[in-house]
Amino acid sequence: MRVWRAVVLVNLALAVGVGWGFLWWGQQARRLALELTEARAALAAGGGEREFRATGVVRAGLPEVGMLVVTHGEIPGYMPPMTMGFRAASPKILESVKPGDEVRFTLRGTPPNLAITAIDKTAP
Amino acid sequence: MGEVAGLLARGLHLASSVLLVGGAAVLVLAGPSDRPTARRWESWVLTACRALVLVALASGLLSVAHQTAMLEDRAGAALEPAALARMLLHTQGGTVWLIRGGVLFLLGAFLALRLEIRDRADWRAARGEVVLLGGLALGLIAAAGHAAAVQPGTAVAIAVDVVHLVAAGIWVGGLAPLALLLWLAARRAGADARPYAVLAARRFSWTALAMVLALALSGAWNAWVHVGSMAGLLGTRHGQLLLVKLVAVLAMLVLAAVNRRLIPALAGDAATVGRPTMRRLSRAVAAEAALAMIVLGAVTVMSVTPPARHEQPTWPLTYRLSLDTLVGAPDLESQVLIGSQVAVLGTVAVLASLALRRLRLPLLAGGAVVLVAGLAMAVPPLASDAYPTTYRRPGVPYHAASIAEGKTLFAAHCAVCHGAQGAGDGPAAAALQPRPPDLRAHHVALHTAGDIFWWITNGLPPMPAFGDRLGPDERWHLVNFLRSLAAADAARLLGPTVEPDRPWLVAPDFGFGVGPAFSRSLKDYRGRKLVLLVLYTEPASRPRLEELTSAHALAAQDVEIIAVPRDAAPDAIRRLAGGPWILYPIVTDGAREIVETYGLFSRAPHAEFLIDRQGYLRAIVAAAGDPRRDLDLLLAEIHQLNQEKAPPAPPAEHVH
Repeated sequence: MRVWRAVVLVNLALAVGVGWGFLWWGQQARRLALELTEARAALAAGGGEREFRATGVVRAGLPEVGMLVVTHGEIPGYMPPMTMGFRAASPKILESVKPGDEVRFTLRGTPPNLAITAIDKTAP
Repeated sequence: MGEVAGLLARGLHLASSVLLVGGAAVLVLAGPSDRPTARRWESWVLTACRALVLVALASGLLSVAHQTAMLEDRAGAALEPAALARMLLHTQGGTVWLIRGGVLFLLGAFLALRLEIRDRADWRAARGEVVLLGGLALGLIAAAGHAAAVQPGTAVAIAVDVVHLVAAGIWVGGLAPLALLLWLAARRAGADARPYAVLAARRFSWTALAMVLALALSGAWNAWVHVGSMAGLLGTRHGQLLLVKLVAVLAMLVLAAVNRRLIPALAGDAATVGRPTMRRLSRAVAAEAALAMIVLGAVTVMSVTPPARHEQPTWPLTYRLSLDTLVGAPDLESQVLIGSQVAVLGTVAVLASLALRRLRLPLLAGGAVVLVAGLAMAVPPLASDAYPTTYRRPGVPYHAASIAEGKTLFAAHCAVCHGAQGAGDGPAAAALQPRPPDLRAHHVALHTAGDIFWWITNGLPPMPAFGDRLGPDERWHLVNFLRSLAAADAARLLGPTVEPDRPWLVAPDFGFGVGPAFSRSLKDYRGRKLVLLVLYTEPASRPRLEELTSAHALAAQDVEIIAVPRDAAPDAIRRLAGGPWILYPIVTDGAREIVETYGLFSRAPHAEFLIDRQGYLRAIVAAAGDPRRDLDLLLAEIHQLNQEKAPPAPPAEHVH
């Protein structure tokens, strides 16, 4: 075979090889990303009832609607730190704390329908 | 010991890769020839290429072993197959080595083949393939160097570096084989190859010009990305190596310019070129090739030195040039303006002398005199004192916690002379000559943080040195406090209304907590939300705080309100309990530091600070008399900030 033909063939093979490797790598990355999202979704869905524990500060109690507004820290696997209202499972929970109390509390239910089922003051 | 070996391996690898590309490129440029001397040169270059591939592979292997030992932090790892496999397969640098090794191996196999070359097409394909594969192996070094660590814009950085490497390969690597050809042709027996050598030199000259242009552009881009400042260039090892490299390159360019002047003389009557001219040319090119080795050496050390941008520069001079010295000095300003115009005139004359052959000498001499005179007039006013730490970046960020700490230290160590507020009116100040300056004055802001750090560390008579009494962090706390004093002084220009599109005052960062679990910092809101920081005093602020709740609701998407009690009371939330809800963060943790810092910016019992998305302080509302101010006003300012089109760049950590 003529040298120049051989060289062209070698270069073609090289280009195809690099191109194939690039595509394969992209596909691999896409597959991994997909698996990750699925795994995360499965983790978040959790299948039915779940329980979370968190700490925070009571900002307001709303007995008329049975809710408690709390500034809370990170709730691992559920929500970043923020101020928001949670349904209280019983009126007793609302009565046991007042604004400014530092508390530890338990959320239970099927996300996003969660309610505070237990609450304790951590500081007087 | 290991370090030197690693460096040698790297240098050898770079030099062999560069020479490989250059050798093949010069062959392609010169073209095929049937003259015996030219054929001999071609076979020598090809033999050299075969050897260079082996050298590149061997030194590459050594480099990989050395890098593995560095990565695993033990010398033994360099010889362990498992550790080497980890490095090659699981790091980006390793993968790049693997691919480049494959390319070099392919190239070696290609060069080892005895090809039957029948015509020009065959010849071009065979020699071109060496340039292609060699260039690929050389260019891919970029994917494992400093360029691969640039963020954002990694792809662009790598592309620019590939251009730089390949252009360097063709120019720098081509000099040695060209010198060899010229030397062969300059011998008595090499007369047959002289026209060929002249042709090769001329073609190489034009190619080299294009390569130098590409190198200059990509090099300038690289310097901006990796060095970025005069302080980085003069004050870091990476920058100084770059200077060495630039000096060597400049010397090469001067030689190249001389060579180019020789070539037209050669080209005039190529067949009858004399041996002396040929020999002179071959010597000049060889000298250029030798200088190129200095460049490659500097580059090798640079490749293992952290880029200047990521290093703390140590300023080597006792002065620096800065336009800041002109602020508030109109007579100096006009002197600099006139001087620079004179210098421009001189430059024009010098440039004109290059074009006008007849008047060259007088124009050149006159222009040079005028240029120097202009510079002598314009430059001295720009000089101000500088110290090794002048361009040092603060060791402690500009943060409320640091400023509060600095305030305490200032009261303990500095207030005796400088006064409690930094006004220079401390009890001991009267006895001092010169008197302590007013640290709140705006000119304090014109010194770099590093200047102030140096003065605190080493003293500035009659001020004593504090370097042995305060730790470095404590001294940086003081620098941050002084910066906030100057900023607070400047903040008097800020009113309740936002000046459109003109952010200039950086809001000190702060951390805050609501209860034990919720903690954030001002920086967390960068690029996301506006922040309204409210310093309040009960009970006077109560109506305003309640009103802000409705503002909060209106602008919930855009503004985060953070309220801090002036007395930093830990039970602040409880005290606000009765009455309408106030649900934005009331700071219980970090309140003291915020009050001490932002209290410098406004002494009013109730003050509101509007901070934009990039962390600049844009408006200060000190609602002293009537706390029930119209909320529409505040919302209008918020609207104004939301309207700003191009968000200004976030403030750099560099202090100025």
